[in-house]
Amino acid sequence: MRLLTTLGAAAIVASSIAGTASAKDIIIGMMCDRTGPTSVTGTALCPGYHDYINLVNSKGGVMGNKLVAHEIDHEYKVPPAVEAYQTYKAEGAVLVSPYGTPMVYALVQKMREDKIPGTSAGFGSAAAGNGERYPYMFPIAASYWSQAAAAVQFAKDKLGGSLKGKKIAYIYYDNPAGREGLPVLEKLAPKEGFEYREFAVPPPGIEMGPQVLDITRRYRADFVIAQLFGRAPSVALKEFKRAGFPLEKIVGFVWAGSEGDIQAAGGWEAAEGYNTIQFAGVGSDYPVLQEIRDMYKANGSEDPSAMKYTAYYNRGVFQAAVHVAAIENAVKAKGGSGDITGENVRDGFYEIKDFTLGGLLPPLEITRQDHEGGGWVRIFKVGKTGYVAETDWFRAFRPEVVELLAEEEKAK
Amino acid sequence: MSDFQFATELFGQGVANGLMYSLVALGFVLIYKATDAINFAQGEFVMIAGIVVSALLSPAYGFPIWLALFIGLAFMVIFNIALERVVLRPLIGRPIVSIIMATIGLAFILRGLGPMVFGAAPRAIKLPIPDFPIIFGPFFFNPIQLVGAGVSIVFLLGFGWFFMKTRKGVAMRAVADSHQVSSAMGINVEQYFALAWVMAGVVAMLGGVLWGSMSGVDTQLALVGLKVFPVVILGGLDSIIGVVVGGIIVGVVEALASGFIDPYVGGGTKDFAPYVLMILMLMIRPYGLFGRKLIERI
Amino acid sequence: MLHRESGFYKTDYKSDMGLYRLPISRFAAFGMLVLFFAVAPLVLSEYHLTLLSLVAIAVVGALGLNILLGYTGQLSIGHAAFMSVGAYTAANLANNFDLPFLITLPAGGLMAAAVGVMVGVPSLRIKGVYLAIATLAAQFIIEWIINHSPSISGGVQASIEVDRPTLLGVKLDQPAELYYFLLIVAVIAIIATQNLIRSRIGRAFIAIRDQDIAAEIIGISVFKYKLYAFAISSFYAGVTGVLYTYYLGIASYEQFQLGVSIDYLAMIIIGGLGSVLGSVLGAFFVTLLPIGIRLAMEEIGTRFVEHDVLAQVISQLRQILFGVLIIVFLIVEPDGLNRLWINIRNYFRVWPFSY
Repeated sequence: MRLLTTLGAAAIVASSIAGTASAKDIIIGMMCDRTGPTSVTGTALCPGYHDYINLVNSKGGVMGNKLVAHEIDHEYKVPPAVEAYQTYKAEGAVLVSPYGTPMVYALVQKMREDKIPGTSAGFGSAAAGNGERYPYMFPIAASYWSQAAAAVQFAKDKLGGSLKGKKIAYIYYDNPAGREGLPVLEKLAPKEGFEYREFAVPPPGIEMGPQVLDITRRYRADFVIAQLFGRAPSVALKEFKRAGFPLEKIVGFVWAGSEGDIQAAGGWEAAEGYNTIQFAGVGSDYPVLQEIRDMYKANGSEDPSAMKYTAYYNRGVFQAAVHVAAIENAVKAKGGSGDITGENVRDGFYEIKDFTLGGLLPPLEITRQDHEGGGWVRIFKVGKTGYVAETDWFRAFRPEVVELLAEEEKAK
Repeated sequence: MSDFQFATELFGQGVANGLMYSLVALGFVLIYKATDAINFAQGEFVMIAGIVVSALLSPAYGFPIWLALFIGLAFMVIFNIALERVVLRPLIGRPIVSIIMATIGLAFILRGLGPMVFGAAPRAIKLPIPDFPIIFGPFFFNPIQLVGAGVSIVFLLGFGWFFMKTRKGVAMRAVADSHQVSSAMGINVEQYFALAWVMAGVVAMLGGVLWGSMSGVDTQLALVGLKVFPVVILGGLDSIIGVVVGGIIVGVVEALASGFIDPYVGGGTKDFAPYVLMILMLMIRPYGLFGRKLIERI
Repeated sequence: MLHRESGFYKTDYKSDMGLYRLPISRFAAFGMLVLFFAVAPLVLSEYHLTLLSLVAIAVVGALGLNILLGYTGQLSIGHAAFMSVGAYTAANLANNFDLPFLITLPAGGLMAAAVGVMVGVPSLRIKGVYLAIATLAAQFIIEWIINHSPSISGGVQASIEVDRPTLLGVKLDQPAELYYFLLIVAVIAIIATQNLIRSRIGRAFIAIRDQDIAAEIIGISVFKYKLYAFAISSFYAGVTGVLYTYYLGIASYEQFQLGVSIDYLAMIIIGGLGSVLGSVLGAFFVTLLPIGIRLAMEEIGTRFVEHDVLAQVISQLRQILFGVLIIVFLIVEPDGLNRLWINIRNYFRVWPFSY
């Protein structure tokens, strides 16, 4: 009996929530993790997402249709993510953004069945960028393979234009995502004539003295590529610094270079020189961020504290911007009506052209085959007080990465 | 660099790290020794202490380091007294699983409370310790590790002395042996329970500051608590000398596994090796190297 | 005719050991079956069926853990690892050998049982906290092995996509079909557990839990029955893992980490140790609690604070509340929801003549 009442109550509340959305509202299902293992990311990324959506709404929404981003925190666990997805589906969401690699995997089949598109920027395997295999999943950001290729290119540029006879250390968090960079290194090593060795950092990665000692004193690497998560990036920075290794010769993947990591490593000066790969621009000098600040000022409130953490906050803005762009294209295709379906939004992704929000976004080229958008990255260096752009948006060894994707597809 | 030299360096680093594991494990042992409670939230204690101190040091508060440390210490003491009174005391005499689950529940609370009050972003704890390596013959040390190892040794010795030589320490051992008998002998058992939790709080505070300065502070710092279990099983759940030896063994095994086994298995064995060692120990000598042999066999 | 019992008097052992202890249980059980099998799929939306499906999976896992902890008194903090063993076994069998779920489901369970026994054997000498820590080690070791064995985990990604289960040529890909699939397994698990604990094995488990030395003396082989408990409990965990795999369409070790083990422990502690009904109630409670908190907060909270501030607070509050609930149940009602239910039932059984 109790169970019935619980369910009944849940049903009533759920329907009342669904009822608050009027016919013209466009609903986006937005998953988040503010308490689980990736809470550091979620607490800055999700506010960025909401702020951009609020900004669009404050300007009248998408052609007069209001956007509703319904956030559900799933604590980086799969069953709550499934529940969240079903909530979105019941609410009639036209776009869902799963958060976290296991959740992307758990939902990708359902999303295809239900024809609801979603994005997974920074999550999931490189193979998920294959638009023919996963027609409703859009990674929209550089995969770990593209990042690894860019990192090798960056090392090449930094080491004087050639990698012949050089040693690259790949230090990675010992989980599936951490190992993602390895196939690219394997492929590029004979081509570029460098040798590489892998150094695993098992979770939780709060201590890595032995690995750093090995890299700096025994292997004597010329360059370090770091694919780390959680607290591991800041630990790595401190350890490399204490070992006397120049931080200029380290490049970190996208989850290893946020303001939080740098602060935890002792601040900008302590981490100066470290290079980070980004798939959305970092720093505060973008017109869209100014608009958000103006929006807050107009409301008479202070800037949100999450805005200080631009690496993740901007990624939230980036995701929201791409979502809104896709939705806008879908609405346009329907002649301004907010009555769009997931399929319309999916087609909207292919129509995104020349949309960079003043450099916050890379020049994405999403096609039916390539949902990764081209694999663009930009490398920022840690300066004395903030990030300094080290390169422009670029991509490297694209043919090799595409070749790897084809090989992976064949193996399946 | 020769393998031998590399091994000695790893060894040195392992010892230093191991002593810092000992410091965290010490809190666990203190509680078990006095109250027979198993604290699965020791890592979260370390985390919350780290969060409090790092928040006080951050520009938002801008406290000087000594004051931040002092407030952190006071906070941990008061918090743990309250904790003992509200959560643990009603559970005295309950099966061990109840206490384990209660501390797991506590871990949830702390993981939610810390970021709720002080924000979830990671922070640094900057101690006045230099960042460059100290080269010491063939050894190669991080200053923070040396300090950490030094602090650990001082505290481990201090607690060892406390338990062996002082009146309160002896009373605490009596409490651990039998609540009823010590109560009958006029020892205020509940007061000693509170004292044990306070001492665990003090140790957690030290662990939080040292580990926090190594890795930065956010909720992930709690994961250092998982290192406790191999340490205490190897050394013995209720032995202070065991904590030191267990910590050093775990530290050294981790370092050597990372340097010499990883390249052959293609994965990180650093956290895996101590757990395997622990399972072996449980099979051969469940009470550890220095623990009391109170294992019932059936 | 309206009349009430004046008490039930069992005159032989057979009736005392019956599946239904009270005549009304028979009707209640039948009513529940009708409710969940016939009514629920008709009246509930897809969303609510999803919730019930997740609960059904959790029920199986909670029952398994309750057999080990609640009935036999052996603590395991590594149950999620056994789930992953089941999940990967089923995923590999289904993909490489095209086996139907009628084979992969028990196979996943059996493999998990085998691994459970492997963990159980060294644990037989130890109990209490040592066992807890040993199973914690098992969790990490199993995770590590799966993570580093491409032949088990299906490659670098350590995740295997699995097709939906098929029965008699019908692919169970509709929410209602999957719901029936999970519900049937959950009901079988409930009946099996209910029967198990009334059997010789179950009574031996309880004897070991209550007083292991006495159990040994009256001729129960503690060694054998502890192993049984580990095997049966791990079997349930393995089946849970298989169910997750089929339900989500993927086996991934990242779904079965330490936090999941702890969620299941919370289920049986909140639901009630050593009680089948408690396992079911606990599975409901822990699965639905976060949703309940979110819905309540979204209703109430938006009247006071901005939505984006609220999102942060909801997340942390949920975690705190979860911890508080575990502690409150431990201190105030150690027998969990099951005891609360019995209290309510007993009150109404004699109402209004409570003396």
